[in-house]
Amino acid sequence: MHVSHSLLTWVAAILTIGIFSFLWKDNPFYKFCEHLFVGVSIGYGIAVTWYNGVYPDLVTPLFRQGKPLYIIPLVLGLCYFCRFIPRVSWLIRFPMAFTIGWGMGVAIPANFQTSIVKQIQGTLLTPAIFARWDVLLWAIISFVGVICTVFYFFFSREHKGALRLASQTGVVYLMVGFGASFGYTVMARMSLLIGRLQFILRDWLGVIK
Amino acid sequence: MKFFQYLLKIDRRIIYIVMGLLVTLPLVKPLGLGVTSGPRAARLFQAVDSIPAGKTLLISVDFDPASMPELYPMLTAVMRHAFAKNLKVLLCGLWPTGMGLAIKAATDIPPEYGKKYGEDVVYLGYKPGVDAVILGMGENIKNVYPYDYSGRSLDSLPMMRDVQRLRDIPMIVALSAGTPGYSDWLAYAQSRYGMKVGTGLTAVSAADAYPFLQSGQLTGLLAGMKGAAEYEVLVQKSNYSKAYMPAVAAMDSQSLAHVVIMILVIIGNIAYFVTRKRRS
Repeated sequence: MHVSHSLLTWVAAILTIGIFSFLWKDNPFYKFCEHLFVGVSIGYGIAVTWYNGVYPDLVTPLFRQGKPLYIIPLVLGLCYFCRFIPRVSWLIRFPMAFTIGWGMGVAIPANFQTSIVKQIQGTLLTPAIFARWDVLLWAIISFVGVICTVFYFFFSREHKGALRLASQTGVVYLMVGFGASFGYTVMARMSLLIGRLQFILRDWLGVIK
Repeated sequence: MKFFQYLLKIDRRIIYIVMGLLVTLPLVKPLGLGVTSGPRAARLFQAVDSIPAGKTLLISVDFDPASMPELYPMLTAVMRHAFAKNLKVLLCGLWPTGMGLAIKAATDIPPEYGKKYGEDVVYLGYKPGVDAVILGMGENIKNVYPYDYSGRSLDSLPMMRDVQRLRDIPMIVALSAGTPGYSDWLAYAQSRYGMKVGTGLTAVSAADAYPFLQSGQLTGLLAGMKGAAEYEVLVQKSNYSKAYMPAVAAMDSQSLAHVVIMILVIIGNIAYFVTRKRRS
């Protein structure tokens, strides 16, 4: 057992125990750790965004390199703060319009290509799939799943007869999907616990090598 | 009947204590259950392995310390693999809170292989504006990142002479804890610049990524700490590293925890159905 001599390791370990103390019951030490985490995260985020975004990409080109075009993003950015002044709060519409317009223009074609076109291509039963029986089997299961799940979300007709059969099959696929997601969630939470225990036992207490 | 009623009212803290002990014990005294690598991790490993020596691998550190147990072992394992294959590693990030982790990896891992910062590894830092950053990197990386994370000009770093834009990089491994992350690299870097994208994800978000793997958009997928352990095993089996493998070391605890949860779920359901008739 080789207990760490690092002050920062001790601080991290004590804060970890403070957060874990919530498992027993809510307490002031936990509250302190929670508020400290929120404050540090936001402060860190602001500092990083300033030094990696605002300062090099706006302040430097505008004020140090004298590039006047950068006044446009500066003014648009400042308009966001008009939200706090009721008389001029309408000015926020300009940066919002720019952000939404630019964002939609960029995001819609890219996401349509990635999440719809390529996904439909991936669902199609192509000749290459018929080359191996196991690939074919999985492709058919996937194909049936997509069709039936989409039928479940088809609300324009009452689910009766063949439509009911398809939508009920879709429910089975959905349940399997939820089960897989829940299983992965359990795994993720356990991983986080194990990670913290590894830190306490290895980095702090030196119990494990 | 009374036993089942007792089970349904058991204090949750007893479950926490049992779970804590069962997770801790295998860390102190490993059970040696072993880890085998699956096809998803193998695909990513083979994709990185097939990159010619001297080329650059881009790794996007899109996670924060909250996801460190799952994703940091992936980062170190992929970097070790890349350095063992004499690849250059370019790190960047879409999460501001991931900077410290990327700096730690860029500082700790290269010396294991005699690699130097600026020649074999560069960390670009964090830059806000996800889609604009990726699209900008596709045109010219130096326009988006004129300096690295510490303020050094990219022109002064020898490694960056051969890497001008995304098309100069054969592959990206996006290690993502959510959004922004691999989905943005797929939407912008792959759809527009045809980049090969592999990913490592937290287990929570892994189920959402399978459709992209099935459609061939993702080259490989590491899901959670198990995915990290699989990659660590592949790296060690290939004699690329002999370093401590935190994800592999955690797998005994993970397996034991899963067994306990399965037993609890089964017992909980049995107790519920046995007592339901009495309650009604």
